[in-house]
Amino acid sequence: MKRKVIAAALAGLLALSACSSSGGKKADEQATKALNGSGGPRLKIAMVTHSAQGDAFWDIVQKGAQSASAKDNVQFLYAADPDGGKQAQLVQSYIDQHVDGLIVTLAKPDALKDVVAKAVAAKIPVVTINSGAEESAKFGALAHFGQDENIAGQAAGEQLNKAGIKKAVCLIHEQGNVGLEARCAGAKKTFSGQMQNLFVQGANMPQVKSAVTAKLQADKGIDGILALNAQIALTAVDAAKGSGSKAKVATFDMNKDLVTAIKDGRIQFAVDQQPYLQGYEAVDELWLYKRNGDILGGGQPVLTGPAIVDKSNADAVAPYADRGTR
Amino acid sequence: MTIAPPAADERVAARSSFRKLLGRPEIGALIGAIVLFVFFSLVADAFLRASSFSTVLYSSASMGIMAVSVSLLMIGGEFDLSAGVMVTSSALIASMFSYELTLNVWVGVVVSLVVTLALGFLNGLLYVRTGLPSFIVTLGTFFMLAGLNLGFTKLITHNVATPSIEDMDGFSQARAVFARDFTIGGVQVNISVLWWIVFVAIATWLLLRTRSGNWIFAVGGSAASARAVGVPVTRTKIALFMGVSFTAWFYGMHILFNFKSVQSGEGVGNEFFYIICAVVGGCLLTGGYGSAIGAAIGAFIWGMTSNGIVYAEWNPDWFKFFLGAMLLAATVVNLVVRRRAEAGK
Amino acid sequence: MSTTEEAPLVRLEGVGKRYGNIIALRDIDLEVGASEITCVLGDNGAGKSTLIKIVAGLHRHDEGVFRVEGEKVSFGSPREALERGIATVYQDLAVVPLMPVWRNFFLGSEKRTGAGPFKRLDIPFMRSTAKRELLDMGIDLRDVDQPIGTLSGGERQCVAIARAVYFGAKVLILDEPTAALGVKQAGVVLRYIAQARERGLGVIFISHNPHHAYPVGDRFLLLKRGRTLGYHTKEDISLAELTAEMAGGAELEELAHELESAGVQGAPELREDARDLGVSD
Repeated sequence: MKRKVIAAALAGLLALSACSSSGGKKADEQATKALNGSGGPRLKIAMVTHSAQGDAFWDIVQKGAQSASAKDNVQFLYAADPDGGKQAQLVQSYIDQHVDGLIVTLAKPDALKDVVAKAVAAKIPVVTINSGAEESAKFGALAHFGQDENIAGQAAGEQLNKAGIKKAVCLIHEQGNVGLEARCAGAKKTFSGQMQNLFVQGANMPQVKSAVTAKLQADKGIDGILALNAQIALTAVDAAKGSGSKAKVATFDMNKDLVTAIKDGRIQFAVDQQPYLQGYEAVDELWLYKRNGDILGGGQPVLTGPAIVDKSNADAVAPYADRGTR
Repeated sequence: MTIAPPAADERVAARSSFRKLLGRPEIGALIGAIVLFVFFSLVADAFLRASSFSTVLYSSASMGIMAVSVSLLMIGGEFDLSAGVMVTSSALIASMFSYELTLNVWVGVVVSLVVTLALGFLNGLLYVRTGLPSFIVTLGTFFMLAGLNLGFTKLITHNVATPSIEDMDGFSQARAVFARDFTIGGVQVNISVLWWIVFVAIATWLLLRTRSGNWIFAVGGSAASARAVGVPVTRTKIALFMGVSFTAWFYGMHILFNFKSVQSGEGVGNEFFYIICAVVGGCLLTGGYGSAIGAAIGAFIWGMTSNGIVYAEWNPDWFKFFLGAMLLAATVVNLVVRRRAEAGK
Repeated sequence: MSTTEEAPLVRLEGVGKRYGNIIALRDIDLEVGASEITCVLGDNGAGKSTLIKIVAGLHRHDEGVFRVEGEKVSFGSPREALERGIATVYQDLAVVPLMPVWRNFFLGSEKRTGAGPFKRLDIPFMRSTAKRELLDMGIDLRDVDQPIGTLSGGERQCVAIARAVYFGAKVLILDEPTAALGVKQAGVVLRYIAQARERGLGVIFISHNPHHAYPVGDRFLLLKRGRTLGYHTKEDISLAELTAEMAGGAELEELAHELESAGVQGAPELREDARDLGVSD
């Protein structure tokens, strides 16, 4: 008996709500509330990157995305696979889940072209981050947040010039990675001295150390090392010390220990692409788009870097690196 | 039986001592190593310097320490695919335990030893109890450890790498044991090179001069026969897995105290390099044959190749090709030598 | 019962074994003394392997009495049998092909010297002992360092026998040692079996080939479907009779009948064969 009563009451409520008019003050209030982030249905936004497991850089990107999600009352989902095909499958699975927004990296644009098109067709807004500045708009994404690796490389090259370096090596820690190659190529473009690339095995620190040592032993004229990630840079400092070389070390990307190393002069500078910003802005942009139809960048990539961290500003950055967001 | 019966009179002609030498498992690798050494000496000027040799040795030791125990395990007829990530697990445990509880780093070192040995024991126990091939069992633990490494590190440190423990109590002592550089005759040598040599010597003694060594060969050559004559097969195999975990701990400590912080994603893929070193050094994939010295030479070949390419200043784009080609060449030389030795018996 | 000098090394009296409701072995008598070879003959499924398993300690018998040197026993494990001096050399041999002869010889019972962590193999002792023991058995290996896999099947069998003898076996159970061998090699193994007897061992020699068993055997136990078909000393029986009995003379006769009535050519010859063997009248 009790159940019937409840059912009847529910039916009545439903009828009432169906009758109520659209628009009006109530809707306005709802919209304002939603924009403030507290009200409205919780959005579900998924990020799919080409990161390998346990990569420090992507950890910071996720942190940025998570804090934006917390602010905007968004449910944030994350998945990653370095293999282009598998990354596309992950994107597809989020399309199947009907998420409210997708954040995708286009490190392997060809592999992701079709699936991004599917998402757009399914009316899921897509934002690209990190890699794929050129393809982003073409594929139908709303916006792109990232650093142009070539431009960042050029900035590094200029900094190396300022440091008075004449002969440098660029340490590529992941063979065949387009972004890393672009950084070295960019640095080469603006660097006035001589620069060559050296491949080191990023997953194996003793091998990184011995390869850098070997290079410094083989060519005593090297006075500069450009690393492309923080841990590699710190290892390169060790290697330089061990081989008695006077080579100065600079790097891309940051972590806590690296900031300390910049402060005490073991590392010259770091080119920061501010990964936190990439994650944060991407989530925020999707939220703004869903709530207010906003699009950042006007169809052009929004650059999150390069930001140079050296002795002059290391102290300011240190607390943020300490908590793992810079 | 695997080897064809010899001459018609059922007697085996005595081999000359030269033939006997050629019949050693590590001889092919030794010849390959000499060829590579001469080759790089000719193409790379910097290669022959004492300081370069020290760098090559360090690089070799970083593979070789693990290759020692991996070769023993392979002689015992098993694989351990979790060896690469177990090194990282071990370093992470020591680092996080000391850091989070603000204890002397030696406490972390000991805890890590206990936990890592337990991991090796678990690998062995799983293999023995399930009866599945060790390839499958350790593939499972490989993925599990890789996941745990990342999961725990993020859970505890909220980062994917551990914070530096450089300023903690006991760090400098521990570094002196596991990762110190010292100078011999003006050349800087890392202590891990010495440890590597010590481990190779112990393993060789164990294999050739002790009962345990006899058992290792026996359980790898024919576990059923070994069991029939009273060899404790289960115990021997578990001990071999624990041997791998012991060196994983040791090498993990080297990484921790040399590089101060550990990235949770490191180590993946290295297990295959260890196996490659052992195989280049003459270990049979089917077990029952091989040597620890061979595995050491295998690691040395690895070190020469990976650094020789740098000394020779070749285009790094081709690195993996050269590496693969040289490993293949070393293995082929190994095979040819062994075949000739066997044919000449 | 006290152990007497005269008591045979192994004696079975009315021994039987059943697996659930399947009777594997029933009412078997068997005896082997020092310097004696008792052959156990029979086809596949005759119960030979059940019999060895009882003597070797892998299974307990359910009926009858099993005595070792006069004393009633019932072994729970091969180790117990080994402790009483009963060693078994199985058909598939417990050798590791890639290991040197001397390491195989001592495998599982290594001789060691030194103390504590420096306890090590006594290699010179083991090497020379293996060489000498094999020489005593008449196997002259110039190099005990060669992998045992390079020896012929017969030689490997002999190494396994020599090993059992060296480690104090009084009774050797040989499970089909000549089965997989060629004529010449089988001859070599038979010679070593005879040698083991001369050294005072009792041998239980399992075979399905009377031509191998008859020349070396002192007693012959014929098994069929778990029962004794015949138990003879060598004086009682000739090779031809043994062969015929084993081949199941009476059945041969029957088969000849059947074939004849079916009009198969050659049946009369079969009947004649049976007559020649002295099993048909």
